[in-house]
Amino acid sequence: MLTGMNFRGRLLATLRAMEPVLEVPGILVVGSEVPNLLEQDAASTLVVSQDVDLGIPIGSHGAAKDALAKVRGLHPAPEEPSVWLPDHEGLIEVNFLGIDPELGDPGEVWVLDDPILPLLVYGALSLLSAGPPVEVEGLRLPVPRPAGLLLEKLLTARTAEKGDRDLLVALGLLTQMDGAALAEAEALCAGLQAELRHAVRANLTLLTLIPGRLGMPDPTAGREMVATLLARLEALG
Amino acid sequence: MTPLGAKLERRARRIRGLTAVRRWEYRQRDLAQGAWYRLRRLLTFAAEVWALEPAEADRLLAEGFVADPVGQAFEPPRVLLVIPRERLLRVAGKRPVVICLDCGLLAERWLALVPWSSVSPPKDAGRP
Repeated sequence: MLTGMNFRGRLLATLRAMEPVLEVPGILVVGSEVPNLLEQDAASTLVVSQDVDLGIPIGSHGAAKDALAKVRGLHPAPEEPSVWLPDHEGLIEVNFLGIDPELGDPGEVWVLDDPILPLLVYGALSLLSAGPPVEVEGLRLPVPRPAGLLLEKLLTARTAEKGDRDLLVALGLLTQMDGAALAEAEALCAGLQAELRHAVRANLTLLTLIPGRLGMPDPTAGREMVATLLARLEALG
Repeated sequence: MTPLGAKLERRARRIRGLTAVRRWEYRQRDLAQGAWYRLRRLLTFAAEVWALEPAEADRLLAEGFVADPVGQAFEPPRVLLVIPRERLLRVAGKRPVVICLDCGLLAERWLALVPWSSVSPPKDAGRP
C-alpha cells in the first residue's frame, strides 16, 4: 500500500504530465481523485484508487487528441487507448471518459469510436459543471463542482467492491461540501427523473451500512451527515 | 466500428444492463423486492440499534410502539421498533448492534432503533 504522501506526489506528477490536456477548455479531472484534490493543499489522504480520470467533453475531443501528442511519460494502452499507462513508477494510470452535455439521460452510455482516443461517454457525467480550479504547486487543475460530482457518484451503475469504494468517494465529497454545495446537490437532484432520485437515495442508504476501508472516509462517522442529506432529498418527493 | 470501439461497446452494453436492473429495482420498490431498500432506509435514520429480548419487545408493543412493517417482509419476520432514547434507557437486557448489513444485524429478530435527534425524515417517505 502506498502512503498518502507518495500517492499525492505521483498524482500531482501525473497531472503535471497531463497539463497540455488539462489546458483544453472544458476538460475536467473527474472521478475518485477529486476529493483528494479538494483537500487542503490537495493533501490526497484518501487512497481511493491508483488512477485518475479525465473527463473530455465530446466537443473538445479533437483538441484533446492534439494535446495528448504533447504528453510525455505516459502512453496509450495498446488494447485500450482510452487508458494511458505510466512509463515509470512515479506516475499513475490515466483514464479518459467522454462527457456529452446534451445527453439528457444520466443512465445512458455510448461509444465515441476513434482509433486514437475512443471514449465511453457517460450520461451521468453530464451532471458535471466546472467548479473553481484547484491550484497546487503551480498546477491549475480544472475540477467539477462537488454537487454534480456527488450525484454522478451516487448515480453511476456499479457493483460489489468498486461500488462500495465509489460510495466512499461520495462520502469524501460530502465531508467537504458546505451548506451552499448541499443545496446545489438538492436542486440538481430535484431535476432528475423519479427513478434516478430513487437511485440516489438507495445508494445513500447503502453508504451508511457498508464497512469501512483503510485509507478511505469512515462510513460510520459519516452516518448522521448522510441521514440528514437523505431526509432532505426525500422531502423533494 | 473499429475493434477498439467494439470493445468499448461491449462495456457500454454491460453498463446499460446495470441501468436496466436499476430500472427494474425502481419498479419493484413498493413490492417485496423493495424491502431491502426500506430496511436500509430505516437503519440509515437510526443513530443506534439494539438487540432486544423478546419479552422486552412485547412490552414495548404493549406500550403502543408500532413495529415497522418492513420487518414482516423478511423470513423469519423481524420486530423493528423505533423508540426514543429515554425509553431505551429503561430497556433491560439490551445489546448494542453494529449498524452494518454484514455485521450480524440480520441475525437479530427483535431490534430497537433510536433515531438521530438532529434528523427529521419526512413522514411516510419510503413507505409502500
